[in-house]
Amino acid sequence: MSEQIPGNDLLVVDRIETFIGQFHILENVSVCVPKGSITVMLGRNGAGKTTTLKSIIGLTPPREGKIIFDGMEIQGKQAFNIANLGIGYVPENRAIFRALSVQENLKLAERKKGDFERKSDFIFELFPDLKRLYKLPGNHLSGGQQQMLAVARALVPENKLLLIDEPSEGLAPILIQQMMEAIRKLSETTTILLVEQNFIMASQLAERYTIIDDGKTVQEGLMKDLIEDTDLIHHYLGASIKTRKELEMEHESEN
Amino acid sequence: MAEKPVTQKAVKKPMKVKEVGFLVFIALMALLPFVLNLITGTGLNEGVTKFWQGQLIAFFIMAVFAMSYDLLIGFGGILSFGHAASFGGGAYAFGLLMKHWAPNFVKENPIMLGNTDLTMLVVLLVVLLVVLLVSVAVGLLFAVTSMRLKGTYFAMITLALSTALFIIIKSTDLHEWTGADEGLHGISLPVWLNPTQNRLTVYFITLAFLCVSYLLLRRFVNSPTGRVIVANRENEDRMRMIGYNPVTYRTIAFVVASIFAGLAGMFFSIWNMSATPTMISAVTTVNALIMTIMGGMGTLIGPIFGAAISQIIQQFFYTWFGARWPLIFGVLFILIVMFLPYGIVGTWRLQKGNLREGWKRLLRLFTTKSEAEAPESGQKPPSM
Amino acid sequence: MNPKTKKLLIGILIAGLLVAAVAGVYAYAGQRAFISTLFSGLTLGSLFFMVAAGLTLIFGLMDVLNFAHGSMFMLGAYIGWQFYTNPTFIFGMAPFLLAFGAGVMVTPIIKPYLIALNISEKLQKALPKIAYVLALAALVFAFVGFDILSVANTAMVAATTTTVGNPLAELSAQEPLSTFWLRPFLMFVSGLLIAVASSRPGDKTQFAPREPIGKKLLMPAALLVLTALSTLVRESASESVLLMNGNLRFALSILLSVAFGFVFGAVIEITLIRPLYVRPTFILLMTLGLSYVIRELVQYLWDPLTYQMSRPPLFAQPGKASSIAEWLQKGSSTIDIYGATVPTYRLFIIALGIAMFILVIFVMTKTRLGMIIRAGVQDPQMVEAMGINVKAVFTVVFAMGVALAALGGIGAAPFLPVQPLMGDTYQTQGLITVVIGGMGSYIGAFVGAMILGMARAFGDYFALKLSLSPAIAEASTVIIMVIVLLTRPQGLFGKKE
Repeated sequence: MSEQIPGNDLLVVDRIETFIGQFHILENVSVCVPKGSITVMLGRNGAGKTTTLKSIIGLTPPREGKIIFDGMEIQGKQAFNIANLGIGYVPENRAIFRALSVQENLKLAERKKGDFERKSDFIFELFPDLKRLYKLPGNHLSGGQQQMLAVARALVPENKLLLIDEPSEGLAPILIQQMMEAIRKLSETTTILLVEQNFIMASQLAERYTIIDDGKTVQEGLMKDLIEDTDLIHHYLGASIKTRKELEMEHESEN
Repeated sequence: MAEKPVTQKAVKKPMKVKEVGFLVFIALMALLPFVLNLITGTGLNEGVTKFWQGQLIAFFIMAVFAMSYDLLIGFGGILSFGHAASFGGGAYAFGLLMKHWAPNFVKENPIMLGNTDLTMLVVLLVVLLVVLLVSVAVGLLFAVTSMRLKGTYFAMITLALSTALFIIIKSTDLHEWTGADEGLHGISLPVWLNPTQNRLTVYFITLAFLCVSYLLLRRFVNSPTGRVIVANRENEDRMRMIGYNPVTYRTIAFVVASIFAGLAGMFFSIWNMSATPTMISAVTTVNALIMTIMGGMGTLIGPIFGAAISQIIQQFFYTWFGARWPLIFGVLFILIVMFLPYGIVGTWRLQKGNLREGWKRLLRLFTTKSEAEAPESGQKPPSM
Repeated sequence: MNPKTKKLLIGILIAGLLVAAVAGVYAYAGQRAFISTLFSGLTLGSLFFMVAAGLTLIFGLMDVLNFAHGSMFMLGAYIGWQFYTNPTFIFGMAPFLLAFGAGVMVTPIIKPYLIALNISEKLQKALPKIAYVLALAALVFAFVGFDILSVANTAMVAATTTTVGNPLAELSAQEPLSTFWLRPFLMFVSGLLIAVASSRPGDKTQFAPREPIGKKLLMPAALLVLTALSTLVRESASESVLLMNGNLRFALSILLSVAFGFVFGAVIEITLIRPLYVRPTFILLMTLGLSYVIRELVQYLWDPLTYQMSRPPLFAQPGKASSIAEWLQKGSSTIDIYGATVPTYRLFIIALGIAMFILVIFVMTKTRLGMIIRAGVQDPQMVEAMGINVKAVFTVVFAMGVALAALGGIGAAPFLPVQPLMGDTYQTQGLITVVIGGMGSYIGAFVGAMILGMARAFGDYFALKLSLSPAIAEASTVIIMVIVLLTRPQGLFGKKE
């Protein structure tokens, strides 16, 4: 953590270890998220990215290590208390509440009365679809719409930090584009910690990256450095992930 | 279900302790009537000696019933509220046959072998066979139900099924046969099997029943089949994936548990010379459940302990606390559920290491003078 | 065939069969018998629903099958009945409970300060234990020498003599105030100690910001005032309650039962259920034990006897009213509905059942709490991650479930014999109802309850008429449940997992 600028980090995860049952999922994870930036967590499936987010929000509290949010130690506190400090969590697999309508899903996210009314214009501007689907129950939405609702839900209260888990998973390319736009717009006002498998999307959005492998942080730094480092990408993120350079080359050869 | 009860460990040394304990238990129980006889001076078949024989007979039978229930809930992770159906089924099968069929049969078809009258023996064997058949049938019924339903729903339907049986048994239409509400009374038994006339015989028969059941069940849970049943409790999907059909093994568990429960029911109706609707109702299942919980789920010794404790409590709490003793008992039960979730035996096994440590420390406290000896004496495991 | 048309066809088939069955029964039984059986079916259905509503609410969110629900139903009936018939016991116990509550309610005020304490880890562990033990000691001392049984038993004497003259004539004098005040005081201290212990002093992982204490002070202060008040009036209050209008008294006893059920449920959830969420099977065992204890406690206080609670005046005057207006005016005990004589109290039970149904639907669909509950059924972790204290919601839901059971209990008390086992049959039927309707579905609970009620009522009618065995009517509910479970394992309105 040599590049850490003291005082400027909104969230510092310092060498946490997390167990789920008897399984040692996180062995040594450190992440720091500077204020006002998008930081992306990269890593293979099962590396522990989702668990890291859950440890931050308090759903799987870490056994060791420290998590400092906005100058306050939050490890070990209950999840709802952590969330109320101003952390929004968008889980993977579009975990919206299917039995509730879009409106209720958004209303439920209020922390203070009237939160939703204050933010509704902003939300509907980001995701115009939701306005049209306002009264529909959650289980009638398509996958992409559910994902948008899941993100929108985290925008209702005033959050200082958003934890977003795989927003592009299973989305059609055009929706990925829309989601990216939305996240970029969000980052103007909020700090974001993103987990993303789609390297293209991650590389375009984020300023910083952290690579997690096997429950350990192995590398972190600035995104612009990572893009150049094809070896590192292949080593930790798997051969299937292609850098932009390679894609461009492929594209050219196809033509 | 979701919680893992303590499983038996197949480590060599504890097995030995268990063997010794088992033999000591048999010896104690076998000698007890005679010792009591010596102390009190009354005859073997009267007074205090007879009374305690009765208490222990009930304990032996309930211990087997509780063990069979633990096979389901503790080893198989199956919460059934209908286990009393097997117990009551065995009792009623025995009672109905002995009351309505056996007397006539004995009169009309005497079977002689030389000079000895074997009729009664044949009758009892036939009845035993029928009891076994009934138990197997009940076990299969629950197994079939469990194919479609899981967890809470299964618990509910077992409760409903046993309620339905309960309603049938006590319906007035069958008064002539089952005695409806009052139950089936006046089962005729041969003199040697009559608990009022020959209690000592019944005592030893039920003691043997407990010992044999324990050995058989222990063999069963340690057999490959038993291990699959336990593994099913932990993760059914995984077992299915490696090629064990959970349904088959659950069925086996149900049938085995049902057979032992049915036999226990039969012995209970011999001991009471009657079969009552209560034996088939949910109350009886809950009793077995309480015994299992108190003793420790997922062990075989646990339910035996539980049965003993519940027998003792029933006996002494009335004299200690008066008519409202169940209040104390209920509070005790809540405390056990809260603080000893593994029951007495389960907690004992978990804490054995700690206890041994504590024991050592205690010994060291008292033997500060000769500190060199202390660790040695501490090696001795606390007597059980 | 696509599933929608299939569903429609099945629906039409069932509706057709139902209409045919109703028409057939109507033609067979004749109007009068049909209507009176219909009303007894509705009454039974309402009673089943009163039990099932709480069960399904609790099960839906927390996956807890509350086997103590029947006992809580019974407890609600006893509390209400006591208040209605002779409130000596209620007023005798009030100072104790209120003082204790006031002590416990201090928790939110002192918690922020206690957490901030810097104490060693050893002390952190030991302090709560010491406080709990001291609290228990204070509690025991508060009751030493206090004859609960005599307080409970004066009620029994009075229960049999309410009709003659002054019901409290035989009341023995109670302890003088000069020594009695020490008891509520000790209870308050005990509550305070529990507040200290449950705040876990020094445990920094807890979160409790130091907010202005003005609002938090309100609750304990109010409870303290009530304690003082109830201590002063504990003897005279019962008499003035008994001199009240009977209908008002009944309404008050309903309120009291519900409030008691709510508080009782919350206390049970926090102390006994919450530590066991990690071991679901043990929650079931806990509720089994609890039902045992409640029943025995009631038998200890009021003996294992059967009591009859008299009906409030609105339902008590002999005579048959020809219309609802006449009934409300005269307070007749029966009413004429299309030629059938129906006891008016049955109408009250039916109305109460329907009111409860509407209330539950309102709470579930229109309030934020209902929204949280419906969301929590699907994914409690996510609800928590959104900043909602799910544990507290669990407590509230359990408390609501118990309050519903208590409401059912006091509603049924004038109709059923009041005895320690009165809830058990209804619990079994309630469980069956919940299974038929689909666990966690309140609409299912209502439909299931009505189906069961009708099955029981018409089953009984036919059993009597055709001199069949009453066992058939009794078993009919079980048979329906088996059929439903085998054809639609998730229940009529349940959702597939």
